[in-house]
Amino acid sequence: MKKAQIQMMETIAILFVFFILVGFGFVFYARILKSSVTTQGEEQAQLGAIGIAQKAAFLPELQCSEDNIIKEGCIDILKLNKASAIIPVNQEEYSDMFGFSKIYVNEIFPGNTNWPTLYDNSPSNYKTKLVTHVPISLYDATLKSYSFGVLVVEAYTK
Amino acid sequence: MEIMGMAIIMILIILALIFVIRFVILKKPVEYKKEYTQVELASNMINTLLRTTANDCNGLSFTELFQDCADYPSDGSVDCSVGVKSCLYLKTKIPVIFDNTLEGWNIAYYFKAVSGITTLVSDECADCDPNSICPVRTHKEFPIPSATTINIILDICG
Repeated sequence: MKKAQIQMMETIAILFVFFILVGFGFVFYARILKSSVTTQGEEQAQLGAIGIAQKAAFLPELQCSEDNIIKEGCIDILKLNKASAIIPVNQEEYSDMFGFSKIYVNEIFPGNTNWPTLYDNSPSNYKTKLVTHVPISLYDATLKSYSFGVLVVEAYTK
Repeated sequence: MEIMGMAIIMILIILALIFVIRFVILKKPVEYKKEYTQVELASNMINTLLRTTANDCNGLSFTELFQDCADYPSDGSVDCSVGVKSCLYLKTKIPVIFDNTLEGWNIAYYFKAVSGITTLVSDECADCDPNSICPVRTHKEFPIPSATTINIILDICG
């Protein structure tokens, strides 16, 4: 074999090894990118769930107030009764705010009552379901008493 | 010369790998929901609990029952039902609330109400030893004014 031929073979071998390494690099990069996209999706779903829980907990349709002063972490039972009848009928109005989610209130103490679902737009097929529990006082304005309740927000991603 | 080229390429690839491992693979996923849940949950639990009305105890709130229990440390002065004074009422009802909330959601916790050196109520999840399996926790402490300040402490394990 001539010297020029040997040098050509050497160059081809180097290029071959180089392209194999580049190929490995691409495969590795694609995998990292995929896992990064998945992680970002999970983070977005978590942020979405927190956002919905916050909006639901501070919904003016439910909040307790006295002399126009809002009490934080409190749901007025009279408002809850009305809202659980009105919101499901007008669900489209709330879908921008709550998206794919289900929102309901449970009384823990003194009773163990499950109130009617406030909002239910849960899809039949979903990718993730994140449940957020928000302990909240349930105020009965007629008895002037507070019960221990939990606002449950189930947020779905498709 | 080709060997030099290969060496430079290999060094660049190794540097890229180190960069990817450092910033992509070893990057801890941000758990927004967990952080939010722990911080908000602890304060919401205490706020809601202290505001709750005990209808059996002349309609007093849990805050007032804690004050009564601290001021009359033997068993309290308020009658809740036959033979049940404020201290015993708190000791029986608070675990029920936590069983139906944090314990039901599989969240390890440790609750304590102390007045000076006296522990009025303490409760923890049945399967949780906070000193051993709960190294990272969200600690919330609420003081209640009384003859001796009452501290309501709730640790939620992470």
